[in-house]
Amino acid sequence: MPVAEPGPPAEVGDDGIRWQHPSPRLLRARRIQVGLVTIPAALIGGLAGSTASAALGLGLGLGLVIAGLLWERFLARRVAAWGYAERHQDLMVRRGVLVRRLSVIPYGRMQFIDVTAGPVERSLGLATVRMHTAAAASDARIPGLDRAEAAKLRDQLAELGESLAAGL
Amino acid sequence: MTNRLPSGPPGSPLATADMAGWHRLHPLSPLIRTGRHVVTIGILLVGVIFANRSQAGGDLVINLVVIAIVLAAGVVSWLVTRWQVADGVLRIDTGLIRRQLLRFPLSQVQAIDVVQTGLARVLGLAEIRLRMAGADSSGGRLACLRLADAEQLRERLLSMTRAPGTAAAGGQVALPGGQVALPGGQVALPGGQVALPGGQVALPGGQGTLPGGQGTLPGMAGRSGESVEIRGAERQLFRVRSRRLAGAIVLSRAGAYVAVVIAAMASVAVLTGQPGIVASFLPPAFGVVLAVWHQFNGEFGTVVAVAPEGLRLRSGLVQTTAETIRPGRVQAVRLVEPLLWRAFGWCRLEVDVAGPRQRRENQSEARRLRALIPVGSRAEADQMIGELLTAPPKPARRAPRNARWKAPLTYHFLGWDGDDRYVVASRGRVCRKTTWVPLHKVQSIRWVQGPLQRRLGLASVRLDVAGRRVTASIQDRDAAEANDVLRRLPEHARAARARAIDPVLADPPPGG
Repeated sequence: MPVAEPGPPAEVGDDGIRWQHPSPRLLRARRIQVGLVTIPAALIGGLAGSTASAALGLGLGLGLVIAGLLWERFLARRVAAWGYAERHQDLMVRRGVLVRRLSVIPYGRMQFIDVTAGPVERSLGLATVRMHTAAAASDARIPGLDRAEAAKLRDQLAELGESLAAGL
Repeated sequence: MTNRLPSGPPGSPLATADMAGWHRLHPLSPLIRTGRHVVTIGILLVGVIFANRSQAGGDLVINLVVIAIVLAAGVVSWLVTRWQVADGVLRIDTGLIRRQLLRFPLSQVQAIDVVQTGLARVLGLAEIRLRMAGADSSGGRLACLRLADAEQLRERLLSMTRAPGTAAAGGQVALPGGQVALPGGQVALPGGQVALPGGQVALPGGQGTLPGGQGTLPGMAGRSGESVEIRGAERQLFRVRSRRLAGAIVLSRAGAYVAVVIAAMASVAVLTGQPGIVASFLPPAFGVVLAVWHQFNGEFGTVVAVAPEGLRLRSGLVQTTAETIRPGRVQAVRLVEPLLWRAFGWCRLEVDVAGPRQRRENQSEARRLRALIPVGSRAEADQMIGELLTAPPKPARRAPRNARWKAPLTYHFLGWDGDDRYVVASRGRVCRKTTWVPLHKVQSIRWVQGPLQRRLGLASVRLDVAGRRVTASIQDRDAAEANDVLRRLPEHARAARARAIDPVLADPPPGG
């Protein structure tokens, strides 16, 4: 993406972090998801508006389509903002364009790991890996990984979590 | 029809030896377990009768039938419930239609509470609640036993949780994930697991969340295998003053709600000139009064004491609760100073303890943390903090001036500090909240920067600990400082964790 590297500045944890990114197909998945929301919304809005007057219906439908297109413009940056890095003791996950977030989760704190895939993700061979700790607030997920890579990451994290397990 | 149990003597007193057999709960327990429902139904009944007096007869019958069904369900549930303690495991079998065979390995128990509801207190009964580590599985409940039996059973169970090698015949339970559950901060090592020279362990002073490191606790320095006299050495730390508690609740948010409701009722009555309209305010008023009562009832007479097996907490006016927070279970400490309380120099000290939310009757409690000091002076709070944490830092580093633009209302309270053991952060608009988090309890660290923060060159770092969404938020720092914190904290936390884990007993890993 021709976007300046989003996320926290490079000097955060600068000990040679190599950020890994979700699959480029995540962008396609997100586009499909936006389309799946926008097109029916525009159709329904247009039909509902046209019961009052044709102009209103057209306006509503067009407005919703434009909103969807604008949303789509942001997708690329948001998808590019996702990244994760496996360090010796912890996993770092970053995301967000407007609100930038970076989570550090020690391997020993992981309670369990899910791999999920919604219908769109599944059709593109993608999956989301989600790490759970004992804290309800720590949210660490990595969307749009290749299914094989997700499985590999899951096994790797589970293994690291087991060998470094710490109590509560 | 339902009686397919091996006939344990109903409500049998715990002859100490025969815990291994199956027992029933006390025969009066159905009455107590359904007591609350009966009260609710009674209120509904009164409402119905008042609403339409003309046909009250039919409704009355219906309601009586409902009450009878509820009571009958209670009796059936009592008939099919039995419990047993054997091999270091508490088993509870319950349920007629949906049969549940519950199994609680005592080595994984986080705490054991004895709770007496009002009705149970009149009848001299009590309920035992087991708290397990899982985040939302409700722990085991034994409701109800005779009070003396309950206390005796609690002590026996506690002694088993601490010395699995001796008291629990089955010995150590193998846990999934290769973890070993070492109960308590107590040095009760099952034979063969880890050999400690002479069974003597010096708890490291650095990381204990309980004052184990200070050597102030008898029994904390641990003698392997010996069972410690439970009712024995206990040092009282704090006792809440009833009058102050009442005053504090009046000055709290709940008190404000009551005032608002009363004012609304009065003004409506005066403005419309029809006092009858006030009746429509009764349900919310009832709810608010109930909440206030709940708080007062729950926090009345809070006593905190240090005992060998942890912090003992007793409280309650009508419903009394006795619970034990085992050493090393405190995840975070929070000091809350609401605006009005500050005028009197009062504050509230809460701790976050990993464990399930209490459901049902303690619903309002679930949203709050456990209050060690419901209301007390700063001196009392400082003393308690000193017991919980060793040499904690103060939130002395103020937020940079830029932060005033982003958080004009919270700026005056923003601050943090940290050393290699703790991080403390304070925030709040009118109510100042200071949170201490031991670094070895940190579950994850999050760096967050919103658009406004980016414009001002600020960022926040949040430290999450296990439990009910407790987070120490190092809010609105200079981006460079936040980055520095983020770079160094994981390493500090890892070191603290290693220090806490290496001397295995200081911080026993919980079961799964």
